[in-house]
Amino acid sequence: MVDVAVIGAGQTKFGNHALGLKGMWAESTENAFASIDGDFDPSMVDEAFIGSIAFGGGQIGNTAALLTEHTGMDNIPVRRVENACASSGFAFRDAWMAIKSGQADIVVAGGIEKMNDLTPERKRFWLGVSGDTEWERLAGLTFPGTYALMARRHFHEYGSVHDDLVNISVKNHMHGLDNEFAHIRKDVSFEKAQSGFMVADPLTLYDCCPTSDGASTVILAADHVAKKLTDDPVWVLGSGAGSDHLALHDRPSITQLIATQRAAMSAYDQAGISAKDIDLAEVHDCFTIAELMATEDLGFANRGEGGLFAREGRGRRNEGQVAINPSGGLKSKGHPLGATGTGQIVEVFKQLRGEVESSRQVRDATTALTHNVGGSGATCSVHVFGRDLK
Amino acid sequence: MSSNQCIDWQGNLACIQQSGLVIKSRHSIRGKHVFGPDSDYTTLAISGLELLSEETEISNIKFEEPIDLFVMQACGYSHDEEAVWEIVCDLDSASISISKSEIVSWEVSGNEMDEELFTQMNDAWEEEMTAVSQGAFVSEQSYRSGGPSRMNFNSQSLGEIRIWPPREMIGDQRPSDAAPMKKSGKIESWTKLSAGGAPSEFSLRAPILGGISTVFVRLDEGPCGVFLIADDEDGKPVIGNSVTFAVRRIYAQDGLIRYGLKALLS
Ligand SMILES: CC(C)(COP(=O)(O)OP(=O)(O)OC[C@H]1O[C@@H](n2cnc3c(N)ncnc32)[C@H](O)[C@@H]1OP(=O)(O)O)[C@@H](O)C(=O)NCCC(=O)NCCS
Repeated sequence: MVDVAVIGAGQTKFGNHALGLKGMWAESTENAFASIDGDFDPSMVDEAFIGSIAFGGGQIGNTAALLTEHTGMDNIPVRRVENACASSGFAFRDAWMAIKSGQADIVVAGGIEKMNDLTPERKRFWLGVSGDTEWERLAGLTFPGTYALMARRHFHEYGSVHDDLVNISVKNHMHGLDNEFAHIRKDVSFEKAQSGFMVADPLTLYDCCPTSDGASTVILAADHVAKKLTDDPVWVLGSGAGSDHLALHDRPSITQLIATQRAAMSAYDQAGISAKDIDLAEVHDCFTIAELMATEDLGFANRGEGGLFAREGRGRRNEGQVAINPSGGLKSKGHPLGATGTGQIVEVFKQLRGEVESSRQVRDATTALTHNVGGSGATCSVHVFGRDLK
Repeated sequence: MSSNQCIDWQGNLACIQQSGLVIKSRHSIRGKHVFGPDSDYTTLAISGLELLSEETEISNIKFEEPIDLFVMQACGYSHDEEAVWEIVCDLDSASISISKSEIVSWEVSGNEMDEELFTQMNDAWEEEMTAVSQGAFVSEQSYRSGGPSRMNFNSQSLGEIRIWPPREMIGDQRPSDAAPMKKSGKIESWTKLSAGGAPSEFSLRAPILGGISTVFVRLDEGPCGVFLIADDEDGKPVIGNSVTFAVRRIYAQDGLIRYGLKALLS
């Protein structure tokens, strides 16, 4: 079966943008086109999948058609993919499947979200759209709340403590400090991260991702086309995805994400590797507890030892066992919901090609993973990438 | 019915007498009973009826506004003009009588409530009634269709398994309706949300209350659920502690107050 490569990737800075949807998409797509070394032209794209929640309702219907017409991809099949914060992770998977199936040779997967052009109140109406509206929302829960419940339960079951989350926050802010695309580039000390104001007890400001605007674009190609367009492809070694009950109360456990475990198992299987082979991982740390649980669910730490993993600094870039969120993650790089999944792939593409700022480069990285979660874990996609085809 | 048994009941003050029961808010301002942050005549009525139901079966009852007909029906009480039991609201005080023949009364003093908090909460509820959603929302239809589960723990079963909240299919089977579950469980996790961490539906009241608390509970009959804490109590939930439940106001939107079961900390 055909192998699939990422041949180009680009993004906007994540944060507060004066640009609207069309402008942000044009910027990230232009950056992605420019990253292709060979003779590429947007009319060569066969299909496009664009992840977005369409936050705020500005352009919910036909979002993809609006965007692609402004980036030279006319008249091709396009659609918006929606799976909450995992929208573009799934857009990428759909693009990968389109090539795998033989239906397309060059496919664009991207994501976009505009979050900061709403009043704070309207924003909080939209922040909960991907949770279990009927039961969780009526109990006062949106995502800070659901992740806070998971955190407190993890503390109770495994003895992890809030300082473990503080370690994750400090690490990710440190990783994101030199990332020109990151939303919050602040050197956050342990003491500062300990003393953030409470958002959802036990989670404070420094446990939460910010609300960001941004777009990201990735270009995938079938092996025979990829080799003509670049000398430096990044290969998709595995694509896994899973789902789970939407509401926490319907799950057998709230200290692990089954969707992540299933997605990871399938991606590792396809790639013929295990967690210990991963050099760097962009994981979905919408809240610091989400990273702690992801290190367990993805197999970097034993069950219940995500806190210890964080305490021992095992996710630090070029110091630990695996670089977790070398971009700064959602915590520092930012979280423009629909743009996050392909944004993670932009980072991995550049890291594996040795193209990020030298201070951020993960040394000798050959194998990488991205982990993109929808909401509190109802959907998840995991991808494994390599410098070489196995 | 034993007479003059006066107790704290579901965060209210209740007194069972010969011919019925008086139930009052435990809050008062200058000696007059006033409603707490999430209570009203409807929540008092449901609470009183639950207490009476421990001794006598009541299904038909006479009542009128301001008691919410939908909530009463969701909790299993039908309105009947000819019923022997009648609910009478004392509109000057947060107090009602539920009795067979004559209105029953009882004098008891409540806890003095901060008047400013009371006024702020009342104003907030009034403003909330005119609020409209600008994003995610629970429609009136979806609120109403889940009413008996939300307010009375009506459940389902499939073989030995107890199911709540209701599900459409489990595998290839549809669960059947089952009796309401016991209103008790144990806290498995909890959080307190600041206004910034809570949905916009709570944006007027959460800042006044200093946040709202939610518990994740495993019910004694098996299923789990998430619930706000009744009366927006200050008390800290503790994992492993027992809770019981009572109907309270949740929020108002589009002119409709949404009610549901909230957890009472033991
Ligand atoms: C955490 C949160 C409540 C903070 O919102 P807020 O209180 O309105 O914060 P503001 O935007 O007013 O920012 C206040 C300051 O904190 C900073 N800040 C905002 N969010 C931050 C975050 N998550 N981490 C660190 N700093 C943050 C801002 O840069 C600003 O700093 P400045 O004063 O130096 O400019 C909000 O970012 C949030 O809701 N995050 C979660 C988003 C979410 O649920 N996404 C879906 C996940 S599944």
